Amino acid sequence: MDSHASAVRLATAAMGTRFEIVLPGPDAERLRPIGEAALEEIEALHRRLTRFAASSLLSHINRVAAERPVRLDAATFALFEDALAVHRASGGAFDITVAPLMEAWGYGPSAVGAPLAPRPLPRTGMDAIELDPATRTIQFLRPGVSLDLGGIAKGHAVDRAAEILREHGVESALVHGGTSSVAAIGAPEGEPGWRVALGPEPDAPVVTLRDTTLSVSGRWAPDRRQDGQASEPDASRRTSHIVDPHRGEPLAADGPTKVAVIGPSARLGDAWATALLVLGRRPATLPEDWIAYFL
Amino acid sequence: MTDPNRRTFLVQSVGALVGMALLPDIAELGAAVPVRPGREPYRVGLVGVGRQGRAILDELAKIDAVEVAAVCDVVPSRVIAGIERAHGAEAFTDHRKMLERRPDIAAVIIATPTHLHRQVALDAIAAGRHVYCEAPLASTIEDCEAIVEAAAGASTVFHVGFTARSNPIYKRARTVVRSDSVRDLVSLYAQHHRKTTWRFPTPSGGNERATNWRLDPEVSIGLAGELGSHAFDVMHWFRGRAPRTIRGSGSIRLHHDGRRIPDTVRVEMVWDDGVALQYQATLANSYGGEYQVLYGTNAAVRLASTHGWLFKESDAATQGWEVYATRQKFHDSEGIVLVADATKLAAQGRLQDGAGLEHPPLYYALVDFVKSFAEGAPVACTAQDGMRATVLGILANRAVMTGETINAD
Repeated sequence: MDSHASAVRLATAAMGTRFEIVLPGPDAERLRPIGEAALEEIEALHRRLTRFAASSLLSHINRVAAERPVRLDAATFALFEDALAVHRASGGAFDITVAPLMEAWGYGPSAVGAPLAPRPLPRTGMDAIELDPATRTIQFLRPGVSLDLGGIAKGHAVDRAAEILREHGVESALVHGGTSSVAAIGAPEGEPGWRVALGPEPDAPVVTLRDTTLSVSGRWAPDRRQDGQASEPDASRRTSHIVDPHRGEPLAADGPTKVAVIGPSARLGDAWATALLVLGRRPATLPEDWIAYFL
Repeated sequence: MTDPNRRTFLVQSVGALVGMALLPDIAELGAAVPVRPGREPYRVGLVGVGRQGRAILDELAKIDAVEVAAVCDVVPSRVIAGIERAHGAEAFTDHRKMLERRPDIAAVIIATPTHLHRQVALDAIAAGRHVYCEAPLASTIEDCEAIVEAAAGASTVFHVGFTARSNPIYKRARTVVRSDSVRDLVSLYAQHHRKTTWRFPTPSGGNERATNWRLDPEVSIGLAGELGSHAFDVMHWFRGRAPRTIRGSGSIRLHHDGRRIPDTVRVEMVWDDGVALQYQATLANSYGGEYQVLYGTNAAVRLASTHGWLFKESDAATQGWEVYATRQKFHDSEGIVLVADATKLAAQGRLQDGAGLEHPPLYYALVDFVKSFAEGAPVACTAQDGMRATVLGILANRAVMTGETINAD
């Protein structure tokens, strides 16, 4: 396509994956700085929200929020509010407090290797998180809580990047994080929307996105090394990287392999995609304007 | 002591050895945040809510002793971005009005474009406020001198944001560099590599020239001044004196968009003892990012913001604390990880936890600033300190732009 031929393409490595921004149009000199500003936001969010770096905001929260409230900026507070909203609406199927469980099962900065069989299981649950809108703070109501935003941070970064593009007048763009969190702004010239395949397989379904977002959550995913980067999947593990918060164990082998949701927000979409994968069905509480595919 | 655990014993022994080796710095390694139990927090105002200003707000949010009471920027959309980060702060578009209407603000943090520091700094000092001024200090030697003179005549604190001076890793590295671990310095290297246009989209209500002041040769001190001055401060601080001569070159390698500020520069600074710093910065390639290396006859020290490593020569004597230190491989070299607060961590059996900082370097600089005006602690980077590194950056930029060899004396 001609519009693609003259597109500005920018990419960065963040959150253990590759983020990419495509900005079609002939005015590269105007578009590139806008795209760079969006990418810088993604990189800044990686530094703030990773649990693999001691200097991140999330690590700070995990260290001190059991002792005292931690002040947050409006965007991060809204991220936690959304995480809590999906947690409640999904009956706890989405839970950002499962980090200790993930560590116990071999997914985390300090626990890598074959799945373990932990007993007793660490206590989790988002009832341990208190968000105070009056002071815009987060606090843990018991010690031992550790947050992992792996199920929502990519979508948050994609949403924030798309916001920046729109603020600067971009009318056509595609933003994605590892192809599993996607925001589509407008459409490429002459096209009804952005055509995105729901997987690498040749026969994978293709959806057309326009001014909406897509989030995909899969049962199997690349393993994580200690530095948080993705490595080749180990087929012999046969263990999902997603922990069912209710059972405290990785997802069983049955159920959908992949869930894709389309709706107005990538961060909400990321959280719902994970929740739907855990639930194995569409709950009545998923808002009607969201489309869900079970693959 | 009843615990016979051998590992605990060994770790505590290591702690004692580290303590012996690095005793002069132990007291200053901690970055305890000043607190005011039962009292109102210190109120501060931020002037300039661009990217750096927003990063400052993010770190100030972690310091409970401080409340951001006002944010100020000439661009209204940036003021809104500031309010979104500083809950309850009052919005201003004129720093003089902020100073006039908020006498409760004890300290002002300046994060405007570099060439605009002078007026805000002079007004804040005149209003009797403590000042944290982003680095570099200013874009001309005349402006630096005016700020230094005003700061010298004031009873308030003036702190310049060359963050390495507050960075626990860099403070520890400075001790190591000045010890037999590194011994005699042979040469110095620093780089700042990024792949970016260094051009920013104009915010709503702003204008292009003001937004992209870094690319405006009328006011910008280029890569050597804006980025290099931080590395020059590290080298100046570690060495304890300024270089004698400065040479530079630069060109546009990637961004042929009409700019006159080079996107790639090289600078050489030579000290009186013949030790030279090779510095390079580019906006055309990101390999390696930003780091500094000090090469000595016994070892090299590599510093990269939140991390530091010691690379020993094979013939250098082993010091006790190295035996149990964490090591990381770099291709065919092995680096000993420099750990801040090593004694405390070792005593707690957490030496492995200390490989990186718990906060971005900016946090430690802001904590130091608060400790200076709240507790009377020494200022980590004074106006004079800031001026020295800034002038090196200004002269380096002059060398890049003219091709002349500059005498830094």
